[in-house]
Amino acid sequence: MRLYETTEKGSVEIEIDEDIQAKQEELAERNRELFEERGIRAFDFTGSVGAGKTSLIAGLVERLSAEHRVGVIAGDVATTHDAERVTGKGARRVLQINTGGMCHLDARLVYQAHQKMSEEQIDVLFIENVGNLICPSFFALGAEARVAVVSASDGSHVIEKHPAMFQSADLVVLNKIDIAEAVHMDLSQPIADLEALRPGLRVVKTNCLAGEGVDDVMRELKLG
Amino acid sequence: MHEYSISSQIWASVSRAAREQGGGRVLSIVLEVGVLNLLEEEQLSFWIGMLAEREGSPNLELKVTTLPGRVRCRQCGEEGEAGMPEGEVDHLVPFIPSCKVCGSHDVIVSGGREIRVVSAEVEKAEAGEGGA
Repeated sequence: MRLYETTEKGSVEIEIDEDIQAKQEELAERNRELFEERGIRAFDFTGSVGAGKTSLIAGLVERLSAEHRVGVIAGDVATTHDAERVTGKGARRVLQINTGGMCHLDARLVYQAHQKMSEEQIDVLFIENVGNLICPSFFALGAEARVAVVSASDGSHVIEKHPAMFQSADLVVLNKIDIAEAVHMDLSQPIADLEALRPGLRVVKTNCLAGEGVDDVMRELKLG
Repeated sequence: MHEYSISSQIWASVSRAAREQGGGRVLSIVLEVGVLNLLEEEQLSFWIGMLAEREGSPNLELKVTTLPGRVRCRQCGEEGEAGMPEGEVDHLVPFIPSCKVCGSHDVIVSGGREIRVVSAEVEKAEAGEGGA
C-alpha cells in the first residue's frame, strides 16, 4: 500500500491495489494444498434448494464409509437438518455451517470448518454448498471437483438459465428422474443444453432417494 | 445476491488501509470490476455505502470501471476477449461468454472476474501525515 497524493480538500489518496477475487482464489488454493497434504479428496456439491444434494451425499456416505473415512460439511443459511440427515450414515464427522444469510460457501468458511474437524483423520470430504444455482459458482472452495445437482423439478431450462454454475461444474447429476413425467420435465432438454454449453461434460441420471444411479456418481468421481 | 459478501470484503480492505493512514473518514473508493462477476453496480454501491456509513464514512462516492471478459476456448484453444451477448449484461439476463473465433461456449474464463480495490480517498487525520 502506498500513499501517493495529497489533494486540495485535505484528503489523501491511498493506493490499495487488492483484488478480492484473487484473494478468494488464494484461499481456495490454500485449501487445495491442505487437502493434498492431508490426503483428503474433497468434493463440492452445488444445486438449488431441494435438488437432492443431501440425499446424494447421504447415499455416497452410506456406500463409502466401510472403506473410507468420510467427513461432511453441510452449508445452509440456517438449521442443522442436513447434517442430521447425513449423521448415522457412517460418516466420521458431520459439521454444519450456518452462513447466517450468505448465499454461498467460500474458501474461508470451508477452511474454518475443516479446522474444527482436523483432529479426525478423514480421506474423503463432501462439502454441501448452500442451495443456490447462482452465487456459489463465483466462489472456488479448493475442492477436487464440483458436482452440480439438478432435479427434474428444477424445470427443463435449468441449464440455460444458470450457465455460470454449469460452466464451473465437473460433473452434473440429474436427479429425481422418477418424477420427470409428473412435473412435465423433458429430460432431453437439459442434456442437450449441457452438450451445447460444455461438450463432453459427464451427466449421471439418478433417483437418489431410491439409491438409483448413486453408484454411477461414485464411479465418475473415482471413489470406491 | 452475492453483492453483500463482496461488499463487506471490499469495505474491509478499504477500512484497513484507511486505519493504517490514521483512520480518517473515507470519501471515495475506486474499483475495477470484471464484467463476468455479474455484480450489480447499484447494489454494490448500496451495500458498501451502508457499511461505510455504519463506520463513520457517510456519503461515500464509488467509482467503478468495468473490465472486459477474457476466455480460453476448450474447443479451438483461442485465448482472447470473451464474446458477449448483445445489449446490457446484468443479473437478470443469463448469459454465456463464448469464444469469438469459433463461437463455442465451452470456455475457461481467464479474465473479467477481477474485483480490484484500486484506491481510496481518505480525509487526512488531524495529527497530519500518516506513514507511507
